[in-house]
Amino acid sequence: MTGGPPLGPTRRAALAGLAGLGGAALLGPGAFAAAAIGLQRKRGAGEAGRGFAVVDWALLETALILGLEPLAAPELVLYRRLAVEPPVPSAVADLGLRGSLSFERLALADPAIVFGSNFSAWAAPQIEAIAPFVTYDLFLAGEPPLSNIEAMTRDLGDRFAVRARADRQIEETGALLGACRDRLRAGPFRDVLLVDLGDAHHVRVYGSDSLFGDVLQRLGLPNTWEGGTRYSATAPVGMEVLAEFPEAFLLVVGPVPPDAGRAIETGALWQALPQVAAGRMAVLPPVNAFGALASARRLSRFVTAALLGERQNPEGATIRRSVRS
Amino acid sequence: MSRSVAPTSRIALFRRANPALLCWAGLFAVALAVFATASVLRLGDLSPRFSESFLAYGLLPRGAFALLAGAALGLSGALLQRVLRNPAADASTLGIGSGAQLALGAATLFFPALLAEGRFLVAFLGGSGALLVVLALARLREYDPVTTVLCGLVVSLVCGALSATLILYGGDYMLSLHLWGGGTISQSGWRDSSLLFGALIAAILAALLLSRPLTLLGLSDESARGLGAGVGLVRLSVIAIATGLAATVTAAVGIIGFIGLMAANLARLSGARTVNAQLLAAPLMGAVLLFATDAAVLLFETLTTTSLATGAVTALLGGPLLLWLLPRLAHRAGPALSVPVRDIAHRRLALALLLAAIPAAFVLSLVLKPAMDGILLDLAAIEALSPLRWPRLLAGASAGAMLALAGTLLQRLTGNPVASPEVLGISSGAGLGLAVLLLFAPFAGTGPAFAATFAGSLLSLAAILVFARAAGLGPERLLLGGIAVASLAGAGVTLVMARGGPEASRLLDWMSGSTARVGPGLALAEAAILLVLLPLALLAHRWLSLLALGTPTARGLGLSPERAGSALITLAAVLTAAATLAVGPLSFVGLMAPHLARVAGFRRPADQLLAAPLIGALLMIVTDTAARSLAFPYQLPTGLFAALLGGPYLVVMISRQRR
Repeated sequence: MTGGPPLGPTRRAALAGLAGLGGAALLGPGAFAAAAIGLQRKRGAGEAGRGFAVVDWALLETALILGLEPLAAPELVLYRRLAVEPPVPSAVADLGLRGSLSFERLALADPAIVFGSNFSAWAAPQIEAIAPFVTYDLFLAGEPPLSNIEAMTRDLGDRFAVRARADRQIEETGALLGACRDRLRAGPFRDVLLVDLGDAHHVRVYGSDSLFGDVLQRLGLPNTWEGGTRYSATAPVGMEVLAEFPEAFLLVVGPVPPDAGRAIETGALWQALPQVAAGRMAVLPPVNAFGALASARRLSRFVTAALLGERQNPEGATIRRSVRS
Repeated sequence: MSRSVAPTSRIALFRRANPALLCWAGLFAVALAVFATASVLRLGDLSPRFSESFLAYGLLPRGAFALLAGAALGLSGALLQRVLRNPAADASTLGIGSGAQLALGAATLFFPALLAEGRFLVAFLGGSGALLVVLALARLREYDPVTTVLCGLVVSLVCGALSATLILYGGDYMLSLHLWGGGTISQSGWRDSSLLFGALIAAILAALLLSRPLTLLGLSDESARGLGAGVGLVRLSVIAIATGLAATVTAAVGIIGFIGLMAANLARLSGARTVNAQLLAAPLMGAVLLFATDAAVLLFETLTTTSLATGAVTALLGGPLLLWLLPRLAHRAGPALSVPVRDIAHRRLALALLLAAIPAAFVLSLVLKPAMDGILLDLAAIEALSPLRWPRLLAGASAGAMLALAGTLLQRLTGNPVASPEVLGISSGAGLGLAVLLLFAPFAGTGPAFAATFAGSLLSLAAILVFARAAGLGPERLLLGGIAVASLAGAGVTLVMARGGPEASRLLDWMSGSTARVGPGLALAEAAILLVLLPLALLAHRWLSLLALGTPTARGLGLSPERAGSALITLAAVLTAAATLAVGPLSFVGLMAPHLARVAGFRRPADQLLAAPLIGALLMIVTDTAARSLAFPYQLPTGLFAALLGGPYLVVMISRQRR
């Protein structure tokens, strides 16, 4: 990191600009973003060459599918296990936990601008001391997030002059979801219930204001869950609520804790669950619940493969179907 | 309550028209009715075929497990209380539950294969490890009940912070631990119940075999030995049985707080006088207590369709009982800390060196490379990193100094070497304040968060002081109020955390003691508070010297011990509240720094009050530097890291002292 670009007057100019931004930040994220754009334009194209950093996984995967490589991104060890795709180039520096970012590494990476979501807004004071910080409100209670994600993707495209690529990614995602929707229409299952497991006895249900719920909506699979949700998923509820939707196909998103995995396979209560007893259940590989377009595509492939009874998804990740039928 | 209850026979216990027994039978009947009502309501929504299975594999095992776990914890509590002659002993007050939880968390993260087969063994090892540490610490004061419970609280806090760190690093995958930490008794089969049933039967048989030596253990060690009981062996086996029972419950459903404590004490209150009667009554009452609590939780869950951690609810019930119980504990005065230390030779020089070491360490920490892959940064990097580093260092050093001052005041005042700001209940109250804020505003910024933590600390401080005044307690007993407040606040935090939203990870972050969110404003504020309070604390040295001469002498010399005591406690609490804002609920600096100062030879109050804060500040600078560097870019929480340094240090120091 010592070989990083020298700190010139540009850095101070950025800080000075930032002082002005403080006022804009008070007016709300929209005004803040607008001010940040203005700042970037003022600083000219040379600044863009200094690179950027992201402090949220949704921003990370969006940057990567736009062909942009951030200088630094958070929690890459877990990202490679839970979000999996798109793969992160090894040159990207790890910023540590999303909840406990290493501002030192961020400062050493010396980005011209930092992008985050409303989940990383807590770090604004420290990040703004390093570089201008732009946050997007992606996941809000009661709002299906995909349109926010598409707007964020377009905005990133504009900022980095790759708008055409951004539009193509949005189109391709729409096309994939549409194709999956058509294939699923021919399939046997209409209702699905998408959950992840807290432990052997508790599930979290993903509602329509989650990325998962929104994807299911666009796949033409109405979300059977009618209860309210908090921040995309419900607070953990007892697994017996699943029995209130006996006709639904039960999709469990990984990772599944080892104990819970055993309970699903052999536990008496799980085996008695109508969906499991009828073989209408599948465990999907991990997908990032707070991801963006790439995660949406990943989920739609897994869901389609599971509902159409395909054992393998196109990348070869195994989808386990319930053993009973 | 009649004295003529035939103690050895369960039949006889029931034959007498004992009003307490009638109450228990009534409570059990009500609990059964609540359980049945909740079950009917819950089954009503389900399809008929699944509702049968849910009754057979979900609800009935849950009821059975609640009864069995309550009995196991009740027996475990009765055994521990007997063998330690400490009515506040329990799996949760002695750290067994938190130790087991930590071991299971570590196994989930690092050795998942081990967990599949050896879950109960892992929990047992963790629980007994924690208990060993507690007992090693408590030996210092001859297992004085208050000291033992203080040590248990300290060990529980450290295990809790370690678990929090594991959860943070494990990501979503560890969500199960959130739920589980609070102790939800949901079941999906009979496996856990049958396992626990076997363990319970074995333990009851073993306890019956040991009942005669146990009776003797209730007397002093000398008389027990005189009557031919192998004191050490009996004690060890009883502790192993009790730990095994508690660990089995923890492995299956998590920490169920305070059931053993309540059951064993209520058994005594209900008239169980002999060992046999207590060993019989405590499990029965534990079973009824836990079953009744869980039935109420089940009804609440059914009516509101949320899930609630039964273990945290029992802790909420247990907190007030502890509050009532603690002032009644027998005080077993142990020897005061008696390391043969001489006064340090060059006192002023040593203090000057310590004082000089702080800016040196501060500057060194500013210019060190972040990843320990070299030594010094280049100038440009120093310019980039200093603005990020100095607030953390300044806040940490100020907080370290304040905790050290608070610790010195408390240890001097109570004469209890384990007294420290961490056990005063202030920091737990701060956590509860943060939890309540996050409940209503999960994305609250740093400013409101600090305001909420400060409000929480002040409220718990007020609660402790009111409690102390009402009970007319001396400073030692004040610590007890702290323990009770800490338990209550901890239960509240667990309840909020079990909801599992973004607020959970914020709480975990704070619990683990991270300084990453400290900005320049807070750092300067911490330093300013220190500068205001430091002279006040230094002025206290005369009072401390006088109080050390004993109450009559102090009074004769014109000092009101009560008034001086409460003024000093208030000062210690304010110092703690301010420090907690920056470094979270635990750091052990408040425990360690006063000891280090004393062992180094700063024996007199005035010297210790000068040396301890210097040592505390230095410790925090060193640990903050290590915590941010060791796993770079992944940061270890500073408070936790300090605790990990402090824990082993204390054990070593104490074991040396015994020679």
